[in-house]
Amino acid sequence: MSEKQVTIFIDDVAYQVSSTDNLLAAVLSQKLNLPYFCWHPAMGSVGACRQCAVMQFQDSTDDNGRMVMACTTPVTEGMRVSIKHHQASEFREQIIAAMMTNHPHDCPVCAEGGECHLQDMTVMTGHSVREYQGTKRTFNNQYLGELIGHEMNRCITCYRCTRFYNDYAGGKDFGVFGSKNQVYFGRHRDGALASEFSGNLVEVCPTGVFSNKVFSAHYTRKWDLQSAPSICSHCAVGCNLSIGERYGTVRRVMNRYNAELNGYFLCDRGRFGIGFVNAEQRIRRVKGVNQQSPVALTSLDIAKAFAHFRNKSFLAIGSARASLEANFYLKQIVGAEQFCAGYNDDEMIVAAQHAQLLAKHKPPSLAAIEASDFVFIVGEDITQTAPRMALSVRQALRHAAKAKAAKLGIASWQDSAVRTSAGNELSPLFLLQSTSTKLDDVAEQSLLLPVGQFANCIRVLTALLQKSVLNRHFDLQQALNQLATQTPLTEHAQAFIGSLFEALCQAQQPLIIAGCSSCQGQTLAEIEHLLQEIKQRSAADATQLPKLPQLAVVPVSANSVGILSLLDEHTLSISQVLAKLKHQKNTFQGVIVLEQELASLSDSEIQQLRAICPTLIVLDHSSTRLSVLADILLPVAAVSEGDGHYVNYQGQVQRFYQVHAPVLPIQESWRWLDTIAGTLTVNGAEFSAQSQTNKKHGLCQSLAELHHYFRQTFTDWPQLVLDKIDAGTTKAFARMPHRASGRTAQMANISVHEAKTTQKIDDSLSFSMEGQPLERASDMPFTWAPGWNSNQSINQFQRQVNGQLLQQKAAQYITVSEQVLKNPCWQLTEPEASSRVTTCAKQDHIASADSMLVSYVQQANIYLSEWQAAQTAEFQMLRASNLLSISAALAKQFGITKGQWCKVVLSSCQGITPRISHSVISQVVIVEQLPANLMFGNFPLSPSLAPCLEVYIIAAEPQALSDYLSAYNDQLMAAKKSKQALLERLKANDQHIPIRLLSGGLDDD
Amino acid sequence: MTVAKFNTVITPLTQWVNLQQPLDFTAYCQVGGYQAAKIALTEYQAHEVLEIVKNSGLKGRGGAGFPTGMKWSFVPMYAPEDKNAPDNKYLIANADEMEPGTFKDRLLLEGAPHQLVEAMIIAAYTIGANKAYIFLRGEYHLAAKRLQQAIDEAYQHQWLGDNIQGSQFSLNLYLHCSAGRYICGEETALINALEGKRANPRAKPPFPQVSGLFGKPTIVNNVETLCNLPHILKNGIDWFQGLAPNSDAGTKIYGACGRVKKPGLWELPMGVTLREVLYQHAGGMQAGLAFRGLLPGGASTDFLVAEHLDTPMDYDSIAKVGSRLGTGGLIVLDDKNCPVAMVLNLMRFFAQESCGYCTPCRDGTPWAVEVLARIEQGQGRIQDLDTLSKLCDFMWIGKTHCALAPGAVEPLRSALKYFHDDFLQHIEHGCCHYNPSAIAKRRQVAQSSVQAVTTSSNMTGSANE
Repeated sequence: MSEKQVTIFIDDVAYQVSSTDNLLAAVLSQKLNLPYFCWHPAMGSVGACRQCAVMQFQDSTDDNGRMVMACTTPVTEGMRVSIKHHQASEFREQIIAAMMTNHPHDCPVCAEGGECHLQDMTVMTGHSVREYQGTKRTFNNQYLGELIGHEMNRCITCYRCTRFYNDYAGGKDFGVFGSKNQVYFGRHRDGALASEFSGNLVEVCPTGVFSNKVFSAHYTRKWDLQSAPSICSHCAVGCNLSIGERYGTVRRVMNRYNAELNGYFLCDRGRFGIGFVNAEQRIRRVKGVNQQSPVALTSLDIAKAFAHFRNKSFLAIGSARASLEANFYLKQIVGAEQFCAGYNDDEMIVAAQHAQLLAKHKPPSLAAIEASDFVFIVGEDITQTAPRMALSVRQALRHAAKAKAAKLGIASWQDSAVRTSAGNELSPLFLLQSTSTKLDDVAEQSLLLPVGQFANCIRVLTALLQKSVLNRHFDLQQALNQLATQTPLTEHAQAFIGSLFEALCQAQQPLIIAGCSSCQGQTLAEIEHLLQEIKQRSAADATQLPKLPQLAVVPVSANSVGILSLLDEHTLSISQVLAKLKHQKNTFQGVIVLEQELASLSDSEIQQLRAICPTLIVLDHSSTRLSVLADILLPVAAVSEGDGHYVNYQGQVQRFYQVHAPVLPIQESWRWLDTIAGTLTVNGAEFSAQSQTNKKHGLCQSLAELHHYFRQTFTDWPQLVLDKIDAGTTKAFARMPHRASGRTAQMANISVHEAKTTQKIDDSLSFSMEGQPLERASDMPFTWAPGWNSNQSINQFQRQVNGQLLQQKAAQYITVSEQVLKNPCWQLTEPEASSRVTTCAKQDHIASADSMLVSYVQQANIYLSEWQAAQTAEFQMLRASNLLSISAALAKQFGITKGQWCKVVLSSCQGITPRISHSVISQVVIVEQLPANLMFGNFPLSPSLAPCLEVYIIAAEPQALSDYLSAYNDQLMAAKKSKQALLERLKANDQHIPIRLLSGGLDDD
Repeated sequence: MTVAKFNTVITPLTQWVNLQQPLDFTAYCQVGGYQAAKIALTEYQAHEVLEIVKNSGLKGRGGAGFPTGMKWSFVPMYAPEDKNAPDNKYLIANADEMEPGTFKDRLLLEGAPHQLVEAMIIAAYTIGANKAYIFLRGEYHLAAKRLQQAIDEAYQHQWLGDNIQGSQFSLNLYLHCSAGRYICGEETALINALEGKRANPRAKPPFPQVSGLFGKPTIVNNVETLCNLPHILKNGIDWFQGLAPNSDAGTKIYGACGRVKKPGLWELPMGVTLREVLYQHAGGMQAGLAFRGLLPGGASTDFLVAEHLDTPMDYDSIAKVGSRLGTGGLIVLDDKNCPVAMVLNLMRFFAQESCGYCTPCRDGTPWAVEVLARIEQGQGRIQDLDTLSKLCDFMWIGKTHCALAPGAVEPLRSALKYFHDDFLQHIEHGCCHYNPSAIAKRRQVAQSSVQAVTTSSNMTGSANE
């Protein structure tokens, strides 16, 4: 069905709407009000709630018309409908009245109050008088974990929750129970929701059944939140967020619509991982700087502290979780030759390959991923490392079902009809992984192999491709057999590649997703060969070859690609930094560590770094192993407390805005760097922004000034087009909604003086409720429109339903160069690499009678894999006990049964000295498809252990097991306690809020 | 076409029914069983059978009265080697007889199970289905036993399974016993239940004929509808049409329940009058009772009253007087039973059986129950009658996801029309006049409340002082 514009008449007014829409979407796209519940822009229509009734007329002479549900009615040329017709509007009011027979009148204590879609729709229909005399039905609520609250009595049975959780996100542990007016949405019994996307229930539910438990615990109304547009700092997808704050505490994260990226949904790491901003681990004080004034730290204090470093050389370690500005500034301050991105040698090789791929292939947006009809994921469990992307992959797989339904004349928005007619049809997904993942259930085939063999598989795929082009009478099986003699692949792997090849050849929009977390530069290089092969050959003969797949490489952190753009041939690895410190003792004054926890270093290596580093300067927001050892420690702003840019996996540069001003002396990293730039630089005083923009304190006051300065001073600063900030003439956008209430009463215990609102010149947002209309904003701090208080108000700001925002800026992309590959250290040496692969493959045998050689892979975890999010107390409470998955062969070898608690001893291979051993108590799962030389689990191993290990498994002794379990339990209890303590502290804090915070200004004068 | 010789059978459906001991395979064959299936498989192409069924004028006996042949013709047919052909099509016998006051299918299922099996072979052959299900009401234990036995026998004698009687046609027939929901009688809810999903009706389109069970073309037919097929094939169209005096063809199993002299089931020509069924076959009202009204075709049809008794019981005639033929099972109301209580009872059933999918049905039916219950208990208010008629409109056709709620509304809205005085009496007198104990109790309460008022006013009086 091709899209075109058709004319329809709504209440006798002509409108141009898209022919592929349903009537409800068309009506909402025209910014007309029509209430609805079960329809959702991303999930389509099911016609359950009957709320969007309108009258449809056959022609202009038809006065009677018939009632239709707008959401299930396709738009046709010349159609005539009426929203205002009395029959339709009375029926819509009755629908609300019917829902209200059971909906409790608990709005005053409901977390949804003030942003409730049900409230909005009730008012929209005009229902205000209650006729129902009877009692209301009641339900028991469930414990759904630490993140989501449950209050079933409020349910109006719109089915959106189950349609999101089960149908859209593929969740299994939730569903619909019961019938008649006792329909229950929940789990089969109490327990934490297992889906990575459970938080979306809060936004999907039109009323207060599902609530953000963390937000509710320290609750405030939506209209009292101060919000700003932000970017998720927890993975490389770069989902757009709206972060809400009150009294200096971050309260919650809501989805911020972006048609190309996250759409309407976030993952739970993005939504709840913000807890680190409030956590106890935050660094709030400067260390190693003498403060002269009793009131505040001044730039003079800093200048004094750094004075004796003038013209001294420093090494610097940047970070993929720090902003683009901070990393860039750091690199300029110390010089490219002294800059390290925080990567070890392996990670540098991967980064170099990644840079090469990014330079050649533009990665697809999530919207483009959803349009794919073939997905191949290599070596990255995106369900845990980039969960929002995994949700998009799930949608891509529905391509086949939608295509089948289209043949029956069913539009893709007819959700229930598509699912009943083609529910089981899935487009092909192939998984080449070393752990099982949460996409396994929708994968056509999944192959588990040790990380080292991925490259081999892709090499075979490339070879197949070459053969198929060269040979007119190509026989797949024969070709595979030939290739099998050249590369050591099991039959199972061969069959996998065979089917993969066939599916790839049939795909119209194929997609490959790879990742950086398994640290395999070789794999990325082979993918590059594959794409190159398809590209070159398709130029010659377009018909026989598969379409060129799109490629998305998922790096580890929010700003990984940002830091990739800063790498060049001089960039150091961590080991090179350590070597330089060791061997050029007198050259370097020390190391500046920017928001970097150096997770890949063992404790002893950290100690070693400290020992050989004369001066350790650390800038970070939360306590790390390094921050406690630092000579000078500067507390920096977390993502919600500052401005800056992150670059997502596509290379898209996205701005995050300050939500609230942090308590001094906390400030953005780039501000600290700007303060110390003059003293540290090799170029002397000229270097600092001081001389360029000498306005107040002689420092960059805003991000705009910083960018201006960068642009003038450094040729290698990516020329980013930034918001035009002209605070003097243009009115800013408000961070607070119009209804921010009781502005004087908020602090009446201290003063009834209404705080002055200050305009921070950093951005186009004011710390106030005064501002320009929201629809003019490109990045909206929150959404609200008259009559639309809930997140559903987004339809008032889209050009059309599911379309771009009214003022959507064009996405800006950063250029990534391949310069880093010029350094021979980071090039892949072909023979070496392949020998590494084959040695791993050759170890596919039993080493001795009582131990085996295996590689261990730690599974990624949505809550705990990302360092910042893992600080969140609620996530700590979700830590699972140890679980190890082993092959059936290994289980047989050690006589282990499924689910048994075991002691697992892992040690480095014989011959490597010193021999290191690691023993863990873990429950064992047997995975049939797992090769004997691979196992995976959810616990980390000491980084000093090599990937290939000797393993020995015995049943755990009762004492050891009970010790482990009680330690595990203690951990959970400690997390629970710290969560409670934190909550008490925050609530106590609310009682005496400094006026400065309310005004939001850093400028106290 | 072999047109059968003139046939004198006038009760084809029930002629072999034996509730004590249904005919087993051999006995069924002896009376001419499986001959029709043989005719279909050996003498006709599938499209020829379809043509016969179309021309016979057979309409669905489940309640809606949709022409069976036309329903079948929507099933896509494919040449044997067609690559686009689905790997399966399905036939389902809807034996989920849960309509209150209706028990006609039970007679056929328990009394002549082989007749249904034979009919399903013919139907499956016509639409090209190789798998068929009987979706049986869960409580029909005896029918389940007898059907399973008939199916087993049919397999034994190569009337089911691969290559039936050497015809190249294969059919596997399965018996599925429902877990028991009224809504499973709705064909798409039935399909969902059969797939192991929640028994919610599906959105249409797609219609089951195109995309039904497991997304494949599917026909769902009522048991009684299917049981006509062998006879049509054996005796011909003219015979079938000759059975009925009016425009509709064939016979219909009519039933009656309530306080009539002889409740029961009778196979009669399609289109006999209500009066004939009620007085000639059911024997009229029991002694001392007078006729008040009846639901002509199960609980989800509108009341008809004395003035309608000469209406012929066919689809169009009953529709003309404002009701539906439905299942043809009369529920008769006498003058000693309260119509409000009857409607309340039915509404309770529908509220209980609502699947909970769409708002008008899920929340509207319990609301109607709440109002009716109050009226019935003498707690009603005059504005409740407005609420009830509003609710009737609220749950009417086109406003709900399926036909359950409009069906639930039918007895209520017609009762409001024909028994308006009874509703008014309940409200005005605060009790039910059909219930002597309620009247007595009401008097008692009234007296004691008068006393209470007097005492309490005395007390307040003294307090004020």
